[in-house]
Amino acid sequence: MKKIMTLILALCLLGSLVACGGKAAAPASDSDLQYVKGNGKLVIGITDFEPMDYQDETGAWIGFDADLAVQFAESLGVEPEFIEIEWDNKLMELDNKSIDCIWNGMTLLPEVEESTSCSRPYMRNAQVVILAADKADDYEKVEDMAGLTFAVEAGSAGEEAAKELGFSVTSVSSQANALLEVSAGTSDAAVIDLLMAYAMVGEGTGYANLTYTFSLNEEQYGVAFRKGSDLADALNDFFKEKYADGTMDALAEEYGLAGSVIEQ
Amino acid sequence: MSFQEQLPIVLGSLNSGFLQTLRLFAITLLGAIPLGLVIAFGSMSRLKPLAAITRVVVWVVRGTPLMIQLLIIYYFPGLMLKTNWWGSGESGRFLAAAIAFIFNYACYFSEIYRGGIQSVPVGQQEAGLVLGMTRPQIFFRVTLLQVIKRIVPPMSNEVITLVKDTSLARIIALQEIIWAGQSFLKGSQGISGQIWPLFFTALYYLIFTGVLTVLLGRLERRLDYFR
Repeated sequence: MKKIMTLILALCLLGSLVACGGKAAAPASDSDLQYVKGNGKLVIGITDFEPMDYQDETGAWIGFDADLAVQFAESLGVEPEFIEIEWDNKLMELDNKSIDCIWNGMTLLPEVEESTSCSRPYMRNAQVVILAADKADDYEKVEDMAGLTFAVEAGSAGEEAAKELGFSVTSVSSQANALLEVSAGTSDAAVIDLLMAYAMVGEGTGYANLTYTFSLNEEQYGVAFRKGSDLADALNDFFKEKYADGTMDALAEEYGLAGSVIEQ
Repeated sequence: MSFQEQLPIVLGSLNSGFLQTLRLFAITLLGAIPLGLVIAFGSMSRLKPLAAITRVVVWVVRGTPLMIQLLIIYYFPGLMLKTNWWGSGESGRFLAAAIAFIFNYACYFSEIYRGGIQSVPVGQQEAGLVLGMTRPQIFFRVTLLQVIKRIVPPMSNEVITLVKDTSLARIIALQEIIWAGQSFLKGSQGISGQIWPLFFTALYYLIFTGVLTVLLGRLERRLDYFR
């Protein structure tokens, strides 16, 4: 009995080795554009992020970014496919080719621009400080906040801004979790995107007890592709066209982002 | 949106997330229970090199976090071998997660099996040999039933742990129930900034492990035949 099992196990080990060796790497095509066209689909990495990428009642992805991404895929003659990713793993997902681009209201940070090929910035955003509504009046300047604890999303632009100002910072896994921290009182304040604050904080939202105060810095959104990808240039041309014909402004209007689109 | 309006949307989303959790749970048990036996025999093999290799593998798998194993299994092919054979969709992520879970749990199970098999006194095997039984006969007619009886309590423990460990699969964006609950924090399907769906997921786990505890307890009593 044991001998039979031993044999089976040995065969299993052998099989897995063969499986590894046999799967030879496909020759890497130089052009990402050709790769996407060959696949017949553009895989767009997103998180559920209103008003950029989110689902309507039917489960279809809509939003400023999603609508543009669909049009971009059409212009390439391929199908758009939206894949929800874990934001912390976005660069791995890109290099892994499980997505072709990160198109999700992504702030252009030096570390992202270094390891990917990004489009030109297409939208302005800011980082704002979130406080409990009943305490907001006590904090009018950055100096007033020295003693507060801040919840920020790990790896976000908000984290960078808060650290630069020397705040005591707790990193959490998402901007939503940062809001949860303030709401629960486990942190005094949070730093999140202005666009997100519009949608989620204040009266009539899930966080009516919170408010947003001043912004820490200006920043810009861009779309990231694999390093060296020619899709970035294709998208820049696409943005130029869609800015010139007014499509981008119309979409910004539709999703409550009027005035934040950057001229292409 | 009032709570009454939110409830059906949230429950629908949590239910489909929990279905994914259950699928991962079921496929892990189906794969790991037999694979664990193969690994157990490997680690007890009289072929010394095979036993040594198997034990090293078990050590590596038990000695590293399952979360890292998930990341390696899903991302390694695309990043290092330049061929992402999982694909980007939900099914590829599920397959990668299932393989990681099956292998991880098989290694834990193998140690439980080994303990169970080795706890049966050697004298019984010797007696079997004296009576002219073959080794397979001794294993299936003498040893196996006693082993099953002995390993049910530790296996139950692992099974309950597995229910909750499935939540680790969200690291490779498998949309199980925790993912579903958390999506309402940042906003999904018109509901944003809601904390309660995430906490509510605990109830699903609690009820499911409750059912499992009762079932496994029954199995244990049913196997009480050597008293």
